[in-house]
Amino acid sequence: MTLTSFVRKNAFRNLRRSILTVLSIGFSLLLLTLMMAIWRNFYMEKGSEESALRLVTRHKVSLVFSMPSYYREKIRAIPGVAVVVPGNWFGGVYKDDKSGNFFAQFGTDPDEFFKVYKEWKIPDDQITAWQRDRAGAVVDSELAKKYGWKIGQRIIITGTIFPTNLELNIRGLFTAPQPTQAVYFNQKYVEEAVPFMKGQQGFYTILASSAADVPKVNRAVDDTFRNSPQPTKTETEKAFQLGFLAMLGNVKAFILSICGAVVFAILLVSANTMAMSIRERTREVAVLKTLGFTRGTVLGLFVGEAVVLALIGGIGGSVVAYLIGMGAAKAGGFAGALHVKVATMAVAWAAAAFMGFFSALVPSYTASRLGIVDGLRHIG
Amino acid sequence: MAIPISYNIRNLKLRKGLTVMTALGIALTVTTALFIMALLAGLQKAFKTTGNPLNVMVVRKGSTSELTGPFPADNFGTLKTLPGIAKNAAGEPLVSGETVVVIVLPRADGSGEVNVSVRGMMQNGLALRGGVKLAQGRWFTPGQREVVVSESIHKRFSHANVGDTMEFGKGSWQVVGIFDAGGTAYESEVWGDVNQMNSDFDRQGVYSSAYLRATDPVAAAALKNRVGDDQRLKLDGSLETEYYAKQTSSGSVIKFIGLLVAAIMAIGSSFAAMNTMYAAVAYRSREIATLRVIGFSRPSILTSFVFEAVLLSLLGAAVGIVLMLPFNGMTTGTSNQVTFSEVVFSLQVWSPWVIGSAVLFAIVMGLAGGIFPAWHASRREILAALRD
Amino acid sequence: MSTATVPNIATKTKVIQARNVSKVFTRDAFQVKALDNVSIEIAGGDFVALMGPSGSGKTTLLNMIAAIDRPTAGELLVLGQNIFTFSDSQSAKWRNEHIGYVFQTFNLIPVLTAFENVELPLLLTKLNSQQRRDHVMTALKLVGLEDRVHHLPKQLSGGQEQRVAIARAIVSDPTLLLADEPTGDLDSNSATEVLEILRRLNQDFHKTVIMVTHDPHAASYAHVTRHLEKGMLLPA
Ligand SMILES: Nc1ncnc2c1ncn2[C@@H]1O[C@H](COP(=O)(O)OP(=O)(O)O)[C@@H](O)[C@H]1O
Ligand SMILES: [Mg+2]
Repeated sequence: MTLTSFVRKNAFRNLRRSILTVLSIGFSLLLLTLMMAIWRNFYMEKGSEESALRLVTRHKVSLVFSMPSYYREKIRAIPGVAVVVPGNWFGGVYKDDKSGNFFAQFGTDPDEFFKVYKEWKIPDDQITAWQRDRAGAVVDSELAKKYGWKIGQRIIITGTIFPTNLELNIRGLFTAPQPTQAVYFNQKYVEEAVPFMKGQQGFYTILASSAADVPKVNRAVDDTFRNSPQPTKTETEKAFQLGFLAMLGNVKAFILSICGAVVFAILLVSANTMAMSIRERTREVAVLKTLGFTRGTVLGLFVGEAVVLALIGGIGGSVVAYLIGMGAAKAGGFAGALHVKVATMAVAWAAAAFMGFFSALVPSYTASRLGIVDGLRHIG
Repeated sequence: MAIPISYNIRNLKLRKGLTVMTALGIALTVTTALFIMALLAGLQKAFKTTGNPLNVMVVRKGSTSELTGPFPADNFGTLKTLPGIAKNAAGEPLVSGETVVVIVLPRADGSGEVNVSVRGMMQNGLALRGGVKLAQGRWFTPGQREVVVSESIHKRFSHANVGDTMEFGKGSWQVVGIFDAGGTAYESEVWGDVNQMNSDFDRQGVYSSAYLRATDPVAAAALKNRVGDDQRLKLDGSLETEYYAKQTSSGSVIKFIGLLVAAIMAIGSSFAAMNTMYAAVAYRSREIATLRVIGFSRPSILTSFVFEAVLLSLLGAAVGIVLMLPFNGMTTGTSNQVTFSEVVFSLQVWSPWVIGSAVLFAIVMGLAGGIFPAWHASRREILAALRD
Repeated sequence: MSTATVPNIATKTKVIQARNVSKVFTRDAFQVKALDNVSIEIAGGDFVALMGPSGSGKTTLLNMIAAIDRPTAGELLVLGQNIFTFSDSQSAKWRNEHIGYVFQTFNLIPVLTAFENVELPLLLTKLNSQQRRDHVMTALKLVGLEDRVHHLPKQLSGGQEQRVAIARAIVSDPTLLLADEPTGDLDSNSATEVLEILRRLNQDFHKTVIMVTHDPHAASYAHVTRHLEKGMLLPA
């Protein structure tokens, strides 16, 4: 036996209490890990190298307003712009979908689309096939897997915003680094079916020539259209995605306040448990001291015990969070933000250990200061 | 025979430290749940209470919002003549053709820009919205470049005081009044004359929507159906109240996340409460045995301990409610997923629904945490417990 | 002050020299004089029985010697050291090295096996695990429990528990063995076993034993019996 194994034995002395404490801390840590994962994925990840080179230009007021098609040529002329493609939200529903699951459909320009999304993988012959078929579409391979789609299959998307239905032929399957769960088709299809969409585009995705060009292009695009009837707002792909999130409200404050509540809850739960166990072991503390244990060692024993419990809860909670994140990442879209990195899990463990440590300080200190004479006389 | 309540209260007092810490843990959970419920209550209130059930709102067929479907102004002439429409003081049909656009305004605190809905309406538009009261200044004058803004916009944005000018569309607009929309969705809007707006936003000849006041509820339902059924119009009608109630989709995301968070925290807290109650049972095992010897039955011991757990969590709930009260009425914003403009709403802590569910939430937590330990306490053999 | 520099105690040198030791407990408004001007000298290798009615101050005196408690007045030299000048950690180390303490209620750690309970004081020393194992097994053999090594306290009888407690007290080879009513909770057979062990420790291993007891039979194992009454030590 060592002092460490003594701590471990003490931690599970009252098995039911330890399990309840671990569960309580574990649930809190599950939440904390997910919140940290969201925070990290939203606000700390820079995105891929390619993504950092991409900018999105939309109507200054809102994505629901469109911009003229000729903006594309004007943007293309700006120095530092390598490629620019239009994008249009179709917002239809898949006809054969019984589950009611929603996925995104975008109208774009097949000729240049994959020049902007260079890192997405798709065979060249499939791109060519898509370019040749006006009713062609490329779909995320994850999405195709979900619905069991094959190349050559026809899918029908019913319009909700636009008074038309899309009958699309699947010409290619692409694989993006992170699942997009999206379908891309030729916007000309919609323009022909819906006259008021002619000459209009929802947003433009720009690929800058180099990282240094990104801020310049960003400013130049908005300056170009500042005084036109349709002013623009250009932001990095990442910021554009975050914009959707910001619409929900003050997400940062929401996450922070939940984290705060969780941390306090863990501190209370853990301190409570330690206070109970220490109180029950008053007499034992006196015995240990009689055997020659110093105050410091006694303090260490109890603090260690709290850290052990908190760590087990933390590891359990974060592993469950990791599994949830893995499942969610498959679903793609914003659920992908739940993806938990190992580094985030490590932070969660450290947080758990720290909280265990701090929660135990006060009760353990009190126990370590208790006089031996009083401790030995303690009944109960 | 029941064990007196004062016994439980005294026991909670006796183990003050334990009681306080557990109650605080429960309080934190209740606070989180309360926060989320208050958020939802505010959001729901903002949308649900918007509108008069006699008002029928008309948009282009297939369109889900006032923003996405302009329809020809000619159709408005047809709408006016439909049966079942109430008359205004001047004896004309109480209807309003309106234009809704979204503009970008800078926040007063300088923390960026926010989308705000601007609504152009006919003079009747004000009469159609009887619930909206003027708080300062006067209403806009038709034919003038004048606007009235809601109180929350007045508070949250710069250049939104009476006498200020706002820049949007093709020039400046004079703010002549501030209205109190009573926490409805209109709380996030700027109102002006529809013709002025249409010319500024190049929307001549179309309206975003039309509002018709029906004479009575039956007429409202009939009017709504008639609009939808008329093949010439290609329009859709819905009750104004229904339309706004449907727009809480951003609320459903918040609701989903919020409920999930609250549930996870609640499970965690129940375990903690269970721990405390188990400890209470262990400390009092002799006492329980003594009570049994005196003649208290197992059910009465069970009830007593469950009751004590519930008491503990109610204490937590009370603390949680007190902690949240300062935030009552605090306003925040979220985006309307349909209009992409900001919806302002306030946290509704002090509502019977919210307080009631917080208390219920705490009681469930207390029951979950108390029932096993209480069962355990009541099952113990008298002699075994006395020997402890 | 280092506690390690205790000279090898030859028998018949004074291991304990108490002069006019008094201890007053103040609880609320009451004052209890637990020890009243106690002076006693105990020679190395002695086996002393302390007797006296309940509340006469026996445990208090034992606690003083173990550096668990401090007197309100007087002077006490243990192994030639004035232990009341020790800091908390010094007296902890002191107890670990020089004092073995046996309680009436055994006070074994319930989650640890017999072996682990005995090993506990050694965790504070620099011994490696093999050395610790040797010490523990020697101590357990001495109390006749080498076949109960992996039993938890609750799997042992009272007498066995007390023997484990004695093994724990002697495992670090202390000079002084203090026992506070070690047979008080035992039946007479177990009590005799325990007393035999104490006698062996005194005779064969030259431990100085101070034992508090109510039982004249137990006291008969000692060389000297002293009586305490109302905090005062009666003349020998
Ligand atoms: N920590 C304490 N606080 C207050 N009074 C004490 C304390 N320890 C002992 N006493 C009192 O001192 C007296 C002697 O106690 P003790 O040495 O335990 O007696 P004994 O061991 O002979 O039965 C008793 O009256 C007891 O109540
Ligand atoms: Mg005593």
